[in-house]
Amino acid sequence: MTRRAETGLIIASALLAAIGVAIVEFTRGNWLNAQVALTFLAFAMSFGAMQFAITRWATGASSLLLPIASFLTSVGFIEIYRIDSDLAALQRWSLLIAAVSGAVLLWILRDSGCAVLRRYRYVILAIGVGFLLLPLLPDAWPIHGSTVNGSRLWVRIDVPGTSRVLSFQPGELAKVLITVFLASYLAERADAMSVVDRKIGPFKFPEPRHLGPVLIAAGAAFLVLIYQRDLGASLLLFGIFIGMLYIATGRSFYVMVGTVLAVIAAFAAYSAFDHVQRRIEAWIDPFGHYSDAGYQTVQGLFAMGSGALTGSGIGLGRPDLIPAATTDFIFAAVAEEMGLAGSLAVLAGFGLLVAAGFGVALRSRDRFRKYLAGGLTIVIGLQAIIILGGVLRLLPITGLTLPFMSYGGSSLLANMVIIALLLRVSHEERL
Amino acid sequence: MPALFFNIIKLLFLLLLFLFLWQVARSIRSHVGSNPGARTEGIAAELVILTGETETGRVRIRPQGHVIGRSPDADIRISDPYSSEFHARVGIQDGQVVVHDLGSTNGTYVNGRRVTSPTSVTRGDTVQIGKTILEVR
Repeated sequence: MTRRAETGLIIASALLAAIGVAIVEFTRGNWLNAQVALTFLAFAMSFGAMQFAITRWATGASSLLLPIASFLTSVGFIEIYRIDSDLAALQRWSLLIAAVSGAVLLWILRDSGCAVLRRYRYVILAIGVGFLLLPLLPDAWPIHGSTVNGSRLWVRIDVPGTSRVLSFQPGELAKVLITVFLASYLAERADAMSVVDRKIGPFKFPEPRHLGPVLIAAGAAFLVLIYQRDLGASLLLFGIFIGMLYIATGRSFYVMVGTVLAVIAAFAAYSAFDHVQRRIEAWIDPFGHYSDAGYQTVQGLFAMGSGALTGSGIGLGRPDLIPAATTDFIFAAVAEEMGLAGSLAVLAGFGLLVAAGFGVALRSRDRFRKYLAGGLTIVIGLQAIIILGGVLRLLPITGLTLPFMSYGGSSLLANMVIIALLLRVSHEERL
Repeated sequence: MPALFFNIIKLLFLLLLFLFLWQVARSIRSHVGSNPGARTEGIAAELVILTGETETGRVRIRPQGHVIGRSPDADIRISDPYSSEFHARVGIQDGQVVVHDLGSTNGTYVNGRRVTSPTSVTRGDTVQIGKTILEVR
C-alpha cells in the first residue's frame, strides 16, 4: 500500500468516527454540532501526526498498521461517546497525547533505531518492573497506589498546591517494556535454550538451568496476582513470556511446561483467594450469581443477544446498563448496537492487525527485531483474546482493556507505543 | 417511518465498516506472500555476509568474480570451520551473478539447495557456505 492509500484510510476512519458521533447526536434529537467536527479533527490530527513521523523518520515502515489501529480506535470511540460523552471528550485528548508520544518515539529512534533498546535492556527491565510495582506504594505518599474494584492497578499523583489528582495505570506500559527486555534477552539465549536433548523416558528436556527464566516468569506473574489481585495482567504477562519463548526456540516443550505451571497456579489461586473463586463460579453459572458476581457477565450476554445480526443501531440500545461498558465490556456495547456484523468487523480488525504484526516479525532479518515485533504482536493479540473471551464467557472474566477500543489513556498510550515500535521495526527491515 | 430511516442508517454504517476492512484486506493481499527480496528487480550487485544473525560484511561483486573460502588467499575470507579452503566462486556471466562450487567438502547451498553445477542467482537469494550465509542484493 502506498502512503497515499494509507492517508486515505486514516481519513476514512476519522470520517467513520465522525459519522458515528453524528448518528449518536441525531438519535438524541440534535443535528450536526461541534462534537462531530472535534472528533474528526482529533482522529485526523492524531493519526496524521503518526504518519508525519513515518514520512520523516521511518520512511520504509509498513503502511498497514496505522489504518487498522485507527479503525479499531474509531469504532471503540463511537461506543464510548454514545455511553458517556464526557469520557469521550477526555478520550480525544488521550488519543492526541498517545499519538504524539508515538511520533516522538519514532523521532527518538530515528538514527540509532531499535539497537538502542537492546543496549539499555536492563534499564528498560528495571523501569518495567518498577512500573509494575508502583501501585503498591502506600496510600499516604504523594505518589501512591489505589485500589479500584478490588485490584490495585492505579497510581495517583497529587499535584502539589491543588486538589487535582493525576491517575494512570503503569502496568499498561510495563508490559511493553518487559516485552522489549525479553526480546533482547532471548535474542542471545535462544540458541542454547532450543537444545532439548536430555531424555527422561519418552520426553525430551532442555538443560535444567534453561528452565530458570520460565520459573521466574511464572513467579512474577503470580506475585502480580497476589499483591495486585489482578487476574488479567498476570495471565497476560505469563502468556507473553511463554509465547515469546516459543517464537524464539520453536520448542513446544516450553509451552507444555508453561501450561502445566499455569494450571497449577490457577488451582492454587482458586483455593487460596475468594475473589478468584467468585469469578470462576460466576463464569460457570453466571445466571445463578446474577445478583452479585455474575451481574456484569449476564448484562453483557443480554446486550450481545439483543444486538442480533445488525444491532439496535448506534444510540438506540442500552449499553449503559452493562457495568464497565466503556472499558472492559466495550465489545458487548459494540455487539449490542452494531450487532454481529459490527462485532465481526472488530474481530476482523484485530485479526488483520495481528497478521500485519507477525508479517513485520517474519520479514525482519535480525533476531532481536524479529522477537520484538512478534512479542509486541502477542501483547495485542493475547490481550484481545483474554478480554474478549471474558466478555463472551469463553473464559472467566479478567479485567483487561480491549486494545485501542476501550476508554483509558494509559492503555491507549501503551498501544500507540507498540504501534510505533512495530513501525520502526518494519522500517529497519527495508534499509 | 423513523424506524425504517434508522434501520437504513444503521445498515449503511455497517456497510461503511466492511468497506473499510475490504480496502485494508485488499492492500494486505498485495503485501503478504511476496518475497521482499524478489520484489526489487535488476542486476544483483552486492554480497552481504551474515554470520549467524549479524551482518559482518558487504562486498560489491566485481566482474572477474570472487573466490570465497577459509584460506588467507581467498578473495573473501570467512572464518567458518565448516568451510573449505577454497569453497566457492561467485562471478558475473552474461550479466548474471553465478555461483560455482569449487569441490568443497560440505557443499554450497543456494536457497537451501545444494548446487552441483554453476547456478545463477538474483537479488534476495541466499548462498550458504558452512554456517555462513551470504545474501545477494
